[in-house]
Amino acid sequence: MIGARSIAEPTIKDTIIHRIDPRAKILILISTAFIAVTLDNPETMLLLFLTILSGFALARMPAIKLKTLALLLVLLIWGTIYSQALFYSQLPRTVIFTIISPDFPVLGWLTNGGLFVYEEGLHYGAIQGLRSASILSLGLLMCWTTDSRDMLNGLVGLRVPYSVAFMVVTAVRFLPIIITEVSTVVTVQKLRGFNPKKFGSGIVKTSLNILTPTLANCVRRTGTLAVSIQSRAFRANPDRTYLKKLKASDFDKVVVVVFVFTATSIVIIKLLYNMYTSGIYYTSGLRPVYAIAKGYL
Amino acid sequence: MKNIAILLLALVLIVQPAAAQIQQEDFKPEDMTTFIIQVPHGVEENGLAVRGSTLSAYVFFESYYDGNMNVTMELDLPEGFVLHETSIHSFSLQTEYDNWYRLVEFYIPEDMPCGTYTVTATAVVEVEGTKHTIVRTAQLNLASKEEVTDEISVSQLVIPSDEDGYGDPSHLSNTLVVQETSPALKKLLKVTDLKLNKEDFTSTFIGIEITNTGNSTIPVIVTYDILDTKTGEPVKAFKPEIMGISADATCYATLTLSPGSSSLISLPLYISQDAMGGDYLLRVKVKLTGSDWTAVTKEQKITAISRKWGPIITTFIASLLGLTALGFFISRSRAIMDRFKTRNLVLIALFGTVSFAAINLPMTILWELSHAIFGPFSFLFTGLFNEILLYMLIASLVVLIPKPGVVSLFMMVRFLLGGFITGSFTPITFITLSVNAIILELMLYAAGITSKNPALENRFKMGIICGFADMTSGYVSFSVWMVLYRLFYSDWYITANILIDGFLYTFIGTWFGISLGNRLKKVAE
Repeated sequence: MIGARSIAEPTIKDTIIHRIDPRAKILILISTAFIAVTLDNPETMLLLFLTILSGFALARMPAIKLKTLALLLVLLIWGTIYSQALFYSQLPRTVIFTIISPDFPVLGWLTNGGLFVYEEGLHYGAIQGLRSASILSLGLLMCWTTDSRDMLNGLVGLRVPYSVAFMVVTAVRFLPIIITEVSTVVTVQKLRGFNPKKFGSGIVKTSLNILTPTLANCVRRTGTLAVSIQSRAFRANPDRTYLKKLKASDFDKVVVVVFVFTATSIVIIKLLYNMYTSGIYYTSGLRPVYAIAKGYL
Repeated sequence: MKNIAILLLALVLIVQPAAAQIQQEDFKPEDMTTFIIQVPHGVEENGLAVRGSTLSAYVFFESYYDGNMNVTMELDLPEGFVLHETSIHSFSLQTEYDNWYRLVEFYIPEDMPCGTYTVTATAVVEVEGTKHTIVRTAQLNLASKEEVTDEISVSQLVIPSDEDGYGDPSHLSNTLVVQETSPALKKLLKVTDLKLNKEDFTSTFIGIEITNTGNSTIPVIVTYDILDTKTGEPVKAFKPEIMGISADATCYATLTLSPGSSSLISLPLYISQDAMGGDYLLRVKVKLTGSDWTAVTKEQKITAISRKWGPIITTFIASLLGLTALGFFISRSRAIMDRFKTRNLVLIALFGTVSFAAINLPMTILWELSHAIFGPFSFLFTGLFNEILLYMLIASLVVLIPKPGVVSLFMMVRFLLGGFITGSFTPITFITLSVNAIILELMLYAAGITSKNPALENRFKMGIICGFADMTSGYVSFSVWMVLYRLFYSDWYITANILIDGFLYTFIGTWFGISLGNRLKKVAE
């Protein structure tokens, strides 16, 4: 069963992916997000996606994680395919199915001439889905191979204020407790006759009935937790010491440099290419750059 | 005296016919008229025609005689040519520079042997009762369609080109940019009371080089169509009506190709803002002048890139706003965080956890699943979680901690939690959440909800504020999806999403969130 735990919990092993410094992982993730949103070439996008997927093999992910990943990817890509099949607005486009006919009362007018499934939109959605799939896959790979405490240490190492990091630590620590509480409350509500799946006002009622006791517990817990933290000198000194110091290896540094350099180069090349295609800036000296952007990016 | 009178009368009778004789002898048909025949129309020397085509011969007659003349013109076609109308035309020219012309259509049957034919036009000019005959001939070289096709070729297509037909390396070849007029520029023009020419159209040129490798002078008409690659139908957005006139009336060129020559011409290309991006087929057609037969067709695949300024500018501003807010927060993080007590931070963190457990985690699968099943209408379902639940939490948190910055911290915790647990460190999440936080913070503060003396009882006001903020962030979100992820969304879908999800659901969530907050306040007390 694929549940919240299989999505949320990391699998700690000793692989090359697991050993990467959390700061390096965050920087790799950000660089890859930039690369993914910059690319347009389907082959290069597929290559990026496959490269990221190969990381799961290197990290020796358990089957449950791979199943979760596969399910999320299938849903994500199918969702993109579906939406683009409906909203595809390029030519040529071939209608393969009519959802709302233009003559359909009210809806035909509301949808500004009907709603159709376009064949070309299916292909386009599949290609564009690779972009989100790459970012999602890499995000999950990073999360599933990094302990949340290390990730937060990484954030602090990247100059995120400690108070914010503390809030995130608190949130992460309390996540399993609150998930359990929410499911307990849902069970109690079901026993009292509420149907959480009832559409419309039923969902609002159920939400209120679930949120009120869950949040009331949170509010109660806040006081105790705040006193506990303050008694341990939280925010007493501007500088903090850490039990576990992060140290980036040479491999981490090389990987970060490669990713940041690649991302920066791709972004600059695509920016120059877009300025050229928009008629904003052109210089003949950049023709090889334009050729690279057009052919490969 | 009587004798003198008789003599004068005799003199008048003798002189009068002599004067008329002199006047008639002065009329020289070649000098006092212009008589032209062009076969086919546009060709003054030897014309070229193909078998099985309909041609137009052009006959022109002009008078330089200051008086009345009656003309009867007869066109004599070679045997076998089929004239579509009468061969004899009679007309009268009244004054000097008066003229007459006709385009006379005729058909050349398929079975006519190839060779050179003579077309003769004979004009019988009657001036003062005297008839003069003028004859003009035109040589028509009759060739087979294959011969003509071999002689003419479209040797080069340049798109886009300058107005002389030459390519410009600063523009991507075979690519058209469908660019709507910048909204900023439109506004500027409105403010300055200036008007933009052809506001609804962008235009460029197509350069076409045509070569004649044969020995005949060939008059041609060059036209083009931009076709849907699937259906082969012309796309109207590339031949829009301009001031009620069809672009077909302006998008053509006529030229006469000398033997062994090449000519580069340019044709205007108008692009309506309704034009969609994608792949098209540019089809250039070359017809012999006066004929309806297309001698040469050249096709080239072209790409149209559609640029919408609205989403681009929105994404740019939203990214800038998000980065500025992040920079501001990092540079003043200590001062900002010191405004909150430790219990406030813990409470925000726990609310972040609840939002993650109740919204983000189930939505990781439900979002995609509902998109996969309900397609465009999934927002009606996902909005219940994304908007109603979320704004119940936000509103109750604001009721519990009515301070500026509380919404931003809550959003930050959500973003970081999502990043650490589901890997959703995406540019879209960052931009959307930061814009949502900035707008909510500003509006809540301006409305006095998070100011020094918080006014938290007005559910309606808070609902409107949150609804407006979410509508804005919803529009930003769609813009970012369209620009950064190159996805398409229909206007009706965006509008419905923003109104229902962005406003209605948010309003409901906020309304109930205030009740929830007030109940939680009692717990806290």
